[in-house]
Amino acid sequence: MNESEIIQKLKQGNEKAFRELVEKYQGMVVNTCFGMVHNTEDSEDIAQEVFIEVYRSIENFRADSKLSTWLYRIAVNRSLNFIRDNKRKKWAQSIEDVLKGKKVQLNKFESGNSQNPDSKLEDKQRAEMLHQAIDSLSENQRIAFTLNKYEDLSYKEISEVMELTVSSVESLIHRAKINLQKKLFKCYKKKCI
Amino acid sequence: MKCKTLHKKIIFFLEEELPADEMEQMKYHLSVCNDCNAFAEEMAKMLAVLQTEKAPSVNPFFYTRLKAKIENLSNSKIRYNKNPFFVKILQPALFSVLLIAGIYSGIKIGQPISDRTSYYVDSEQEIIPYLNEMKNETIELFLME
Repeated sequence: MNESEIIQKLKQGNEKAFRELVEKYQGMVVNTCFGMVHNTEDSEDIAQEVFIEVYRSIENFRADSKLSTWLYRIAVNRSLNFIRDNKRKKWAQSIEDVLKGKKVQLNKFESGNSQNPDSKLEDKQRAEMLHQAIDSLSENQRIAFTLNKYEDLSYKEISEVMELTVSSVESLIHRAKINLQKKLFKCYKKKCI
Repeated sequence: MKCKTLHKKIIFFLEEELPADEMEQMKYHLSVCNDCNAFAEEMAKMLAVLQTEKAPSVNPFFYTRLKAKIENLSNSKIRYNKNPFFVKILQPALFSVLLIAGIYSGIKIGQPISDRTSYYVDSEQEIIPYLNEMKNETIELFLME
């Protein structure tokens, strides 16, 4: 079944077409969400929401863009919503912890041990450090960087997803890399790992 | 090339996005500067994380879970549609009552502050003449009676 056939059959409510769509694009959607939220369970939950939205609003899809572009857009928007909600929850939780007098957990990177022989732990710390650096980017830089690095999308494809010009995407990714570099250098100087 | 310049361009060097002459300068600097070389290695390891994280394996029950979720949602939607009274009338009414109650309690909380202040002033005035009565009615006068 090609893309237009899948869309056609989805609009008719064909369950087999929906299953095919999910199986074809689930990896792509989960990977995009993972690049944004950095958690496997959360990214799968968001990916499910993405497909539910597709299921509900396939009738509104006018095929102006590719199906994958549409899916990327929904995945990115859903991930951003999740991040915003999570921030609010974390903020509320931190206030609750302060009121209850709980000790705030120290950032593990601040007390990281550079002499640790366990390379797996070091890799985990590196991954978390990188995630923190990515999370500190502005929304647009983060989207562009994630699509470029996790999904290997070209600048043109990213510009279609983000509805920006190619040069804007280029600039966003360039600035994202500079900002990441700054963060990671600061961390290196503090011997986070 | 200075170490500071290298630190500013290391990510582009690792991704081979610099012009050829700059790439050569960076390579030369890294071969002579141990600190920068260590930093470059660490950055390379950091960026390699992105490659290892790509394409995570998806749960084999992804579609089954998704299907169950869609069915649950459609069931709850049916239940929700069955009770439009709650959505259209009861909910806005409840919110309005809460809003009015909030405004009323706000006004009530604000009012007693001024009353209390005036109460304390009055009571002070009441006590002063009582204490001063001792001057008017001395103990000698009391004994003479």
